Amino acid sequence: MQINRTGVGLIALFVLLGLAMCFGPALLGADLETSLIVGSTGAIFVLVGAGLALYARHAKGKAAHQDWIFQNGIKGSATILEVGNSHTTVNEMPLMKLKLELDVPGVGRSQVTRREVMPVFTANRMDAGLVLPAYANPENPAEFVLVW
Amino acid sequence: MAGPDATYAAFAAARGLEPVPALGLGALTPLLVESKHCQVEPAARGRLGGEVDGVVGHLAYTRNRTFRFNVALVDIPGSTALAPRLFCIRNGRSTRDDEFYGFEARHSKLWTESTALNDRYTISTSPYQDPNWMRQLFSPALVDYLATEPPADFSFELAYGALLGSVEDDDPGADGLAALCEATAHVAARIARECGE
Repeated sequence: MQINRTGVGLIALFVLLGLAMCFGPALLGADLETSLIVGSTGAIFVLVGAGLALYARHAKGKAAHQDWIFQNGIKGSATILEVGNSHTTVNEMPLMKLKLELDVPGVGRSQVTRREVMPVFTANRMDAGLVLPAYANPENPAEFVLVW
Repeated sequence: MAGPDATYAAFAAARGLEPVPALGLGALTPLLVESKHCQVEPAARGRLGGEVDGVVGHLAYTRNRTFRFNVALVDIPGSTALAPRLFCIRNGRSTRDDEFYGFEARHSKLWTESTALNDRYTISTSPYQDPNWMRQLFSPALVDYLATEPPADFSFELAYGALLGSVEDDDPGADGLAALCEATAHVAARIARECGE
């Protein structure tokens, strides 16, 4: 997963609105009870924004690692053996479970399972027998990037 | 008979294509998926251009507003192992009007090495598409062709062996359909040749 402009905007909205709710009432001279109620709600907004930002950072780090494997990895192929739909969706995109036969030159063939969140059209096209490119980590061939 | 029906009937007759009232193409590319039933109506099938056979048809769907395209579909089965997905979309084209999510699957990467193409198209692939293959595919001849020859709104989507060329138009006329078919056939032949090398 990766954050997009809408996601950046949502995080900024949560954090800025939360901060405004935390400090606004006190600065505007509201009474203590009102300041506490609005401020605690604002704190929740800030925490949600911070959580989303942490998730986005984690996703960015994972993407950078996958980029490294793609640039430095051993190019092979992955043949789809079975396709399963987990019936879980992320933002309308299905989480697919793929059983693959991975063929990496110099390493050999192995059967692996991979879960991927995919756009609907991609998920629909995943089918047994489809051969996709794959890049294996030269330091750990069990770790690979599937090109779909 | 009026509009696309008349155009497709005349076009099929003039080009020796088999006219088909309606045809379900399946959820083969992102544009087809936007349409609920992935159906083109009317349609025709046969030789699109050069040595390339396929289907040409009118695609309409509604996602907040109604979108109307004319599409040409060609199979290039050998392309999946080299380029699972390659989208070359005319700049500014919109195919849906209701996408508001903040996180999305990391499913595409822009290919921006040709300024001549960047002026006209947004080209995207899998994030892990082999860049050397892309450079070989987009030879100077193909870049020049795509930048100057196809109809103004021409775009194409290559997804898992299916190539869909398209123009957004209610009724492009027989000449417009011919230009769509020629452009799609040209791109299909180029991709097939690159996959064979």
